[in-house]
Amino acid sequence: MNFLRRKFYSYYLQPRIEFPDRIERREYAFILFNEDTMHRHISFSSKEAILTYFKANVPAHAYYSSAYYRIPSASTMKEKQWMGADLIFDLDADHLPNIENLTYEETLQEVKKELLKLISFLTEDFGFGKQDIRIYFSGGRGYHCHISNKSVLELGSQERREIVDYITARGLEIKEIVGERSIYKDRYIDKRIEIYPDHGGWKGRIARGIINFFKQIKSMEREDAIKELMKIEGIGEKTAEALYDALTDERMRRIEKGMIDQASEFRRIVKPLIKRLAVSLHSEADEPVTADIKRLIRLPGSLHGKTGLRVTKVDIDAIEDFDPLTHAVVFGDNMIKVNVEKPIKIKMMENVYELKKGVATLPEYLAVFLVARRMAVA
Amino acid sequence: MPPILFIFILFNFVDLFKLAKYPFMAEAKEWVKEQKVNIEEILFDELYERARQRGIERVKQALEKGIIYDTPLINDVDCAMEIFSYPIARMLVVAVESDYLLRRYALAEAKRAYENMKNEEEDFISYLAKELGVEVNGEKIHFADYLKYAPTWDMKWKLVNRELKNGYVILSKNEVARLIQEAIRKKIYSELSYIFAPPEVKKVFRNEIIAIKSRIAFKDKSVKMKEVKADYFPPCIKSLVSAAKSGINVPHVGRFTMVTFLNAIGMSIDEILKIFSSSPDFNEEKTRYQIEHITGRISSTVYAPPKCDTIRTWGLCYPDEYCRGIKHPLFYYRRRRK
Ligand code: SF4
Repeated sequence: MNFLRRKFYSYYLQPRIEFPDRIERREYAFILFNEDTMHRHISFSSKEAILTYFKANVPAHAYYSSAYYRIPSASTMKEKQWMGADLIFDLDADHLPNIENLTYEETLQEVKKELLKLISFLTEDFGFGKQDIRIYFSGGRGYHCHISNKSVLELGSQERREIVDYITARGLEIKEIVGERSIYKDRYIDKRIEIYPDHGGWKGRIARGIINFFKQIKSMEREDAIKELMKIEGIGEKTAEALYDALTDERMRRIEKGMIDQASEFRRIVKPLIKRLAVSLHSEADEPVTADIKRLIRLPGSLHGKTGLRVTKVDIDAIEDFDPLTHAVVFGDNMIKVNVEKPIKIKMMENVYELKKGVATLPEYLAVFLVARRMAVA
Repeated sequence: MPPILFIFILFNFVDLFKLAKYPFMAEAKEWVKEQKVNIEEILFDELYERARQRGIERVKQALEKGIIYDTPLINDVDCAMEIFSYPIARMLVVAVESDYLLRRYALAEAKRAYENMKNEEEDFISYLAKELGVEVNGEKIHFADYLKYAPTWDMKWKLVNRELKNGYVILSKNEVARLIQEAIRKKIYSELSYIFAPPEVKKVFRNEIIAIKSRIAFKDKSVKMKEVKADYFPPCIKSLVSAAKSGINVPHVGRFTMVTFLNAIGMSIDEILKIFSSSPDFNEEKTRYQIEHITGRISSTVYAPPKCDTIRTWGLCYPDEYCRGIKHPLFYYRRRRK
């Protein structure tokens, strides 16, 4: 631990902290090295005071409140007097399916996909401008998205939950977003679904999602298409074949116009598609953090004690290019000897490292990362 | 002829008839001020007897029916009396000093406005909305305003089921009116929470105040739960029950959760009904109907209480330490009662 603390200290002598607006209205919290408890209810009156704290205490983790308070250092919510809070979305890898089998880099790549979906919701549906949205790499396994637009600051937790439910499609009722029509033929009633690609909201999203999905299926070779269809839960080989074979040019044209002739086919694919289109924000079991109007969030520019990476701003137009293991690295390449505890392959600062168990001499940035992740000891 | 008839201003679309229908509007207040009638006149002068009677009627209808019915408005005098009756009703409500009445009255005024708004032109509705601080743009409303006023516990009103584009939710005219109803209710309720009745009001309306108080006491009888161990209710249910008992308007899904839960643990319909009896929009017949419906007494389906996940979506979950690993509120109760 002393090793990490020393390294953090060297960074905190001249850190690049990005201070939140209304510094003096925020609560700050820190976890120090070799301690489990969080030091809470701290407030600062200036940037200098924060920097001094960093130098003096060298925290392993640093947070500030998304909320701003009249008295941020008070110890109860009531005394703090809540005034408003930024809207924060927390995208973390922990809950994504099959994440255990992925490497750190792949994991972050998965979270990025969710991030891009989130941004599309925030800009197209919620109408936020790109300048309203700030994205940060969390330093750990995810991204945070901050919105400080005036219109959201005073939303209560119920209202924030509605926003979360929107982007995660929780509570979405299919009957509210598609039309169902009964077509009377001579002897039977045929149900037809109507979808609305030109509409806003989920109504339009799901319609465009369905159209794109069928287009993609139609453009595939039969075998691949069937495989793709079978990836959908509840669709077996027979149904997949039937679906593919029924997808004539005429049928496709009708779908593009928003008409789906067989209601039952539609029902099969609509739910899984919604799932794909929705943002996977956090696990069901977690208290929905976005709805929390008083949560703590990592301070941009501080270091994450479990990776040594910096909480780093990501340019919204260059998300694809952001590589945490290059852009969030603050340490240099002086060589340091560490004891690697298990074999690992990793790409950092554009270099690929394949390490075996045992003593190795590594650049400082990699050494810090491995020690912080407890994959090596100094 | 009383002076009140001579002066009134015609706003773009706000005439005296509008003010009579929407007496909470700033223009109505302005109009009343311009009549230069002082409070003694309003309270004692024979000229305003009709307004006073209507004021009392407003409060009584709010209390008994949960809505205020229109009176015929044929000429300017009708309108003037109707407008004056509003501040009178407010003074009376405040003089009774009952939060229950306050809530119920605010809701009833808002409901009346809603019924009237259904017949209004879009322009007027936007104008009214703006005055209440709600930015309505034709049939579009900013999502932040939408969230403030929409009854999102109803699946149909959940944001996720709405058309949201570039920050605006698209609504029908009636839906806009429904949102404004809520804005009106909030406005009236919060205004009334901060005003006091002048002492003369208590004198003039002494008999009415006594009568209203006893009706409230009757409706608001405290409820005791027997046999059922309320201590072991999960926190979600506890908070709903105490909200309902103290007369706070419990959202539809909250009622649903509570009724299905209480029914499942064996509480009788009458007992459940009692819990709701202090709710501001309590309507015994309707509530009984709803309860009997949900609990299968008059329909064939008995609805089961929702799962924790669902309750959480509705924002009604406040877990405590016993909730760990609990997926359903009934399990919570059963586990703790053992
Ligand atoms: S966890 Fe379940 S039982 Fe506990 S408060 Fe939440 S909804 Fe109720």
